[in-house]
Amino acid sequence: MHTLRLAATSMTPEVDFDFAHHRLSLKGESYPENAQAFYQPLIEALGNYCASLHHTEVTVDVALAYFNSASTKALFSLFGVLNQAGARGNHIVMNWRHDPEDDTILEFGQELADDFVALEVRCMELA
Amino acid sequence: MLHTPVSAGDLTQAAPSVDPDHTNHQVLELFTRHKSLPCLPVIEDGVPIGMINRNLFVSQMAKPFHREVFGRKSCIAFMDKTPLVVDAATSVTELSYLAVESGDKALSDGFIVTRDQRYCGIGSATDLMRAITDLTTAKNRQMMESIHYASVIQTSFLRQSAREMEETLDDHVMIWEPRDIVGGDYYYFRRQPDGFFAAVIDCTGHGVPGAFMTLIMASALNQVLESSALDDPAALLSRINRQVKQALGQESRGRQEAHTGTGSDDGMDAAFLYVNQRERTLTFAGANTPLFLLLPDQDEITTLAGDRMGVAYVDTPENHVWTNHRVELPAGSLIWTCSDGIIDQIGAEKGISFGKRRLKEQLLAARDLPLQEQGRRVMRRFTEWQGTSRRRDDVSFMGFRFA
Repeated sequence: MHTLRLAATSMTPEVDFDFAHHRLSLKGESYPENAQAFYQPLIEALGNYCASLHHTEVTVDVALAYFNSASTKALFSLFGVLNQAGARGNHIVMNWRHDPEDDTILEFGQELADDFVALEVRCMELA
Repeated sequence: MLHTPVSAGDLTQAAPSVDPDHTNHQVLELFTRHKSLPCLPVIEDGVPIGMINRNLFVSQMAKPFHREVFGRKSCIAFMDKTPLVVDAATSVTELSYLAVESGDKALSDGFIVTRDQRYCGIGSATDLMRAITDLTTAKNRQMMESIHYASVIQTSFLRQSAREMEETLDDHVMIWEPRDIVGGDYYYFRRQPDGFFAAVIDCTGHGVPGAFMTLIMASALNQVLESSALDDPAALLSRINRQVKQALGQESRGRQEAHTGTGSDDGMDAAFLYVNQRERTLTFAGANTPLFLLLPDQDEITTLAGDRMGVAYVDTPENHVWTNHRVELPAGSLIWTCSDGIIDQIGAEKGISFGKRRLKEQLLAARDLPLQEQGRRVMRRFTEWQGTSRRRDDVSFMGFRFA
């Protein structure tokens, strides 16, 4: 399966979904005018990828410093797709990276861990 | 030009032209006589067939023997056979697209204007650019004027709340700063016989779409508040959830459309609170919005987190029930709430969020000051934190001291 790569813009994060190596990453900030339009293709690509998984180890690296409420909803849909894959027997590790001083992002990661029980969410401080 | 040009016709200037019977010698003479003439249109039987660019022409004629060889020949030898030709009725906007498509040509040579295919004159790229700039400026001014007026409307429907808050609370602060003149944040305050109801609301989006949402929410809120007791904030959130979902037509469409981007997935986060001054209690229900509380005998701010469920979003169940938090309020208790615009704002060197921790530090340090001063300090610290980063969202901050 191909790699989905998008460069970061001031309003959208860098996306690097290396499906072949089961390494996915999101990095930057997210507050596009139309979050739906940005995330829908990612959610679809991720859905197709997850459908092909069978007892696979997947690593997801997320380092987001800011996302607006529309992006938050889209991210939940995205993580929901991963969570379903986790529930089907895949081992999905999400490295949720936050600045040591950033309590907002850390808290969000802790909430993700509560919400998505089929994901192994590891809150990690950015070096 | 007396008025802003809107069509190619408005940009037309009369200019000397030649026809194919003119020789290159004659063209050279014309260019020598009219020093400022950048180019010469070539017209055959009233119809433009090409354009001679001064610089190209002069450099061609300066080549050895060219004057002798081409001097007496027709001037079509060095003309551009495909200049930009537009009808006088072409709008300035369309003309600018055509000029850009034509590459450098229209920028150096300008363009030929015709009426019924017949030559009328030429227009210069400079005039075209000026016209485009004027148009954009005029459109921008018009848009800003309408947004400023929208702000007058939005501010005026906050006025009653501001006044009632003023009349009810001796020591309070209400900061409302939309990111883009108008916004999706909004607050509400109503005095009641035994206390008061207050709300800070953050509707989806900011700017004009955000402001539209505040109107939808305000209308739902008004209807619900008129027909319900205000001392049960959680029940109010539930009723507004139902009402707005119906108003936005989410029920009939369901999730599919919203998820494919065709329908609206809009809603609000909010802090709703009721203070019973007689019983000295506070009841709070939050939708993704926290309430901060500092009792007089405490050294630390308590955070009531609120439910992690927004109001009226597609994913929010129609029958969702929010939680009421009830606390006793001794005299001197401090209560604050804010939209996520403060907490989530990116700033400082590392580009990280302001966060609840820093906000609470500020509030705790300023606990003995009047609320207006607390608000100023929070905003000063917040603005310092933001630094040169862009404001990400609308900002609202409410606080009061319970007497």
